[in-house]
Amino acid sequence: MLVYKKEPDESHFVEDLLSPTVKKWFFSKFKEFSLPQLYGVSEIHKRQNILVSAPTGATKTLTAFLSILNELVDSAEKGILEDKVYAIYVSPLKALSNDIQKNLIGPLQEIEKIANKKLGIKVSVRTGDTTASERQKMLKEVPHILITTPESLAIMLSSIKFRESLRQVDWCIIDEIHALAENKRGVHLSLSLERLQHLSQGITRVGLSATISPLEEIAKFLVGNDKPCKIVDIQFLKQLDLKVISPSPKLIDETFALTQHNLYQLIDSLIQEHKTTLIFTNTRAGTERVVHHLKTKFPSKYTENIGAHHGSLSKSQRLHVEESLRQGKLKAVVCSTSLELGIDIGYIDLVILLGSPKSVARALQRTGRSGHQLHATTKGRIIVLDRDDLVENAVLLKSAIEKKIDKIHIPTNCLDVLAQQIYGMAIDQVWQEKDLFNLIKKSYCYKDLSYKDFNEILSYLAGEFTTLEDRYIFAKIWRNEGSIGKRGKMARVISLTNIGTIPEQTGVQVKIGDQVIGVLDESFTEKLNKGDVFVLGGNTYEFKFSRGMVAQVRASPEKSPTVPSWFSEMLPLSFDLAQEIGKFRYLLEQKFTSQKSKEEIIKFINEYLYVDENAASSIYEYFKEQFDYIKEIPNNKKIIIEHYIDENKKKKIIFHTLFGRRVNDCLSRAVAFAISRIEHKSVEIGINDNGFYVSHSKPLNIMKAFKAIKSTELRKVLELAIEKTEVFKRRFRHCAARSLMILRTYKGKRKRVGKQQVSSMILIAALKRISDDFSILKEAKREVLEDLMDIENTIKIMKEIEDKKIEIKELHTTIPSPFAFNLVLQGSLDILKMEDRTEFLRRMHQKLLAQIES
Amino acid sequence: MEILKDIEIIDLALYLKKHKAIIISDVHLGYEEDLNKKGVLAPLNQFKDTMKKLEKILKNKKLNYFIINGDLKHEFGIISRTEWKNVSALLDFLKQHSKNIILIEGNHDITLDIIAKKKNLELANNFSLDDIYIAHGDKIPKDENFKKAKIIITGHEHPAISISDDTRTEKYKCFLKGKYKNKTLIVTPAFNVLTIGTDILKNKLLSPFLQQNLSNFDIFIVQDKVYNFGKVKNIT
Repeated sequence: MLVYKKEPDESHFVEDLLSPTVKKWFFSKFKEFSLPQLYGVSEIHKRQNILVSAPTGATKTLTAFLSILNELVDSAEKGILEDKVYAIYVSPLKALSNDIQKNLIGPLQEIEKIANKKLGIKVSVRTGDTTASERQKMLKEVPHILITTPESLAIMLSSIKFRESLRQVDWCIIDEIHALAENKRGVHLSLSLERLQHLSQGITRVGLSATISPLEEIAKFLVGNDKPCKIVDIQFLKQLDLKVISPSPKLIDETFALTQHNLYQLIDSLIQEHKTTLIFTNTRAGTERVVHHLKTKFPSKYTENIGAHHGSLSKSQRLHVEESLRQGKLKAVVCSTSLELGIDIGYIDLVILLGSPKSVARALQRTGRSGHQLHATTKGRIIVLDRDDLVENAVLLKSAIEKKIDKIHIPTNCLDVLAQQIYGMAIDQVWQEKDLFNLIKKSYCYKDLSYKDFNEILSYLAGEFTTLEDRYIFAKIWRNEGSIGKRGKMARVISLTNIGTIPEQTGVQVKIGDQVIGVLDESFTEKLNKGDVFVLGGNTYEFKFSRGMVAQVRASPEKSPTVPSWFSEMLPLSFDLAQEIGKFRYLLEQKFTSQKSKEEIIKFINEYLYVDENAASSIYEYFKEQFDYIKEIPNNKKIIIEHYIDENKKKKIIFHTLFGRRVNDCLSRAVAFAISRIEHKSVEIGINDNGFYVSHSKPLNIMKAFKAIKSTELRKVLELAIEKTEVFKRRFRHCAARSLMILRTYKGKRKRVGKQQVSSMILIAALKRISDDFSILKEAKREVLEDLMDIENTIKIMKEIEDKKIEIKELHTTIPSPFAFNLVLQGSLDILKMEDRTEFLRRMHQKLLAQIES
Repeated sequence: MEILKDIEIIDLALYLKKHKAIIISDVHLGYEEDLNKKGVLAPLNQFKDTMKKLEKILKNKKLNYFIINGDLKHEFGIISRTEWKNVSALLDFLKQHSKNIILIEGNHDITLDIIAKKKNLELANNFSLDDIYIAHGDKIPKDENFKKAKIIITGHEHPAISISDDTRTEKYKCFLKGKYKNKTLIVTPAFNVLTIGTDILKNKLLSPFLQQNLSNFDIFIVQDKVYNFGKVKNIT
């Protein structure tokens, strides 16, 4: 029931749909219909569900609104405009909502001028920032077009009065649907849409998306199961001018200082050659660093005309930067990832990606921010700083040019979101469990939900996990003979004040005395021991102690860091892109083993990857070094296991598995688990996109351990392996909050993350006593394995190993091979704990006794 | 295990052999109920688990004194019926095993006087047996008994310690034994079955008795049994 619309409509056909007033307005503003409009306007007019995928600036938004405005204006002119919400527009960004209001209210005023009378079409914005009085006003004067966020939509669905206005909605537009589909916000929204459709049966769904794949999945996500949807794919509308460049020709044998110097020279010259440049750095720290260096290295060039934009900045600071951009006051803007989504940021003629975007879709979304006019050329430059980066982005470039976009992962069967939404629904009305189940199953994200899981969530919400006597504390709903309903006077307040899926910021404040130095990721500070030295904002500090969410440190500029910098903000390499890199490695290995000449190989790289000769020869040198050293190039059909001993006499076993860190996260833990089960000891692991390592003090039979892992048992093994990790505990806390087992807001008070952390440890212990499979524990495991990591593709890889489609080779080196450099340079990521607490203590005690005796 | 002559560690309690006395501290009953009140739906296991632990410790023992060295209850303020019931049941149980129950006031025990009255128990600031002086430990006492005492037993800090090898760190409840001025100081771990406590190496300590260099303190970790880990300085 998904149909691609292959051809646009004829222009006059679309024109004929418009009322005279709207037609007059449209052509007073635009010369002709844009391509998205020729595809989309008539479908939306006919009330067909539709997904439009087109690059930013391709007038998607107006496409969605044109039919709706047309209908509203027509009705208003005929005097039959009803007092109801006709259309709801949902955007993931609060800021975007303001944008749209401007773009809607402006046109409406212009249309009124043409019509020469007040039409009375009302547009309102409702987000978390909307004041109580504005909300009250909305109740009295129902807007015809309602602009909102996923969270505020859920709130309106559960508010007694407002939901009455949502009973005859004609259209629901989901903007930036690609940014929602891949996380739990989207899962939450998918259920809200079904709830909305339950109120407004005839609603038409319109999805707007930037570059993404596969569109069929996104379309299903938009409309749910068993509903038809038209798909419009005009993703490659803009001309692509994309290049990979590097600040130094060789990317090796240069000092850090020199590379840095060259890097900023390069960035500066790029900025100067263009009118306005947008720079993506991937991390907040990176954003600050780039702005700082540009300002200090070129004080005469960069002052007020450069801005930083990232999530840690205050709302007003961000708005200021966005506004300055629109007004053309800025020469350059540096952001982490925050300007990826489609807020109107005015004219950008160059996008620089500093550091790999890690996926083709993201690269296209980001570079698509340049050339904001429809037929303009998208201009993007990816700057690479090391040879792994060069190879990765050269392959990315190839995929982008050849239109191979990596597939996104849509989370499914999220039990925490389910619990939150069922609670919301129970507040609306009394439900038959059967009807509730059927409604939920309409969402694409819950199409495979089992009745067992559904039942367990009801059981949890009904407090059935506690004794009858205690139940009054725990039950959120009542269950009786197949029906459910809300329980308690506070139900609505609790539900409404805890809606949402975005976890709380978990930064730990770093302080010297009372002075705040900065904020660090909680998972980082958890690992710090007294005396550890680390880098923060370019300075080194020694860790003293922590209490709650505060870490006390002392400045220690003379000491070098003992703890590696943290990678938590790092984006994972997409699996599809990783496979493409693996394929390229395979092709090159073939060339090397068949002893092709240097010229031939460079020519091949040059043509295969669309890179210049400089880059091709750097890639050649890199691969040649690897091949000369171990006569092997790990690739998508061959895993190399490399043993070596580091300078601290620690044995490291490096796995060259270029599958992206989400798969390597799974693989490495499975391997470490197998080792620790055989050896009965904890194992340290380090992971990146290109491989992983395990380190251990005693010799290991690694092949035996590796072969002990079966694809069919992987899930079970990993569930055990992650249970004791910090990441599981953290994700559990998020899941417990989403399932309303930990209320973030209760009795008007907001809970601090630090307190939630202690509570969540107690909760994990208590729930495990009930069952290892308790719904929320189960969801936390699912989230870690499926959303954070990638168990699905890991199983695929394991199967290929079992079927001998991927071979494994083991070898020993004295210094690590070139392809292993980046991996061993990085610190350890996690520890797989094998012994239980008591066994560990016993062993440590024995060790202590032995020490005393000797 | 003996921590000092005639003073034994039994699980999370201290046993004074000569006086047939058991000392525990920082039970913090009602911890989960307090979480519930703050919107965290922790199931209620604490009372059950605390009773189980006490039963094990008190099995076949006829005591002269059972000393609760502060913070029997977690939070002051309004107490639910269940919480009343639990505190009352715990005290009744102890009465069966000990001639005297000594309730020492801790910093959390604002409502304890009502419980004490109801159960006909006395609430004290401290308690002495010969040269042993027992107090919660949130402040330094000034009375004559304290000045004369040779051994001080306190709670309050919830001591715990992290044990690490090069790859792993775990935190355990522990007893501390060291000096305060010229007196021997023993700090008992929290009898709270839900939380481990304060890492004496990583965290800032609260007890005025412990505002000193702890490197010569002895560590006794309690897990499945008691492990003597020697001096703090050997652990870091």
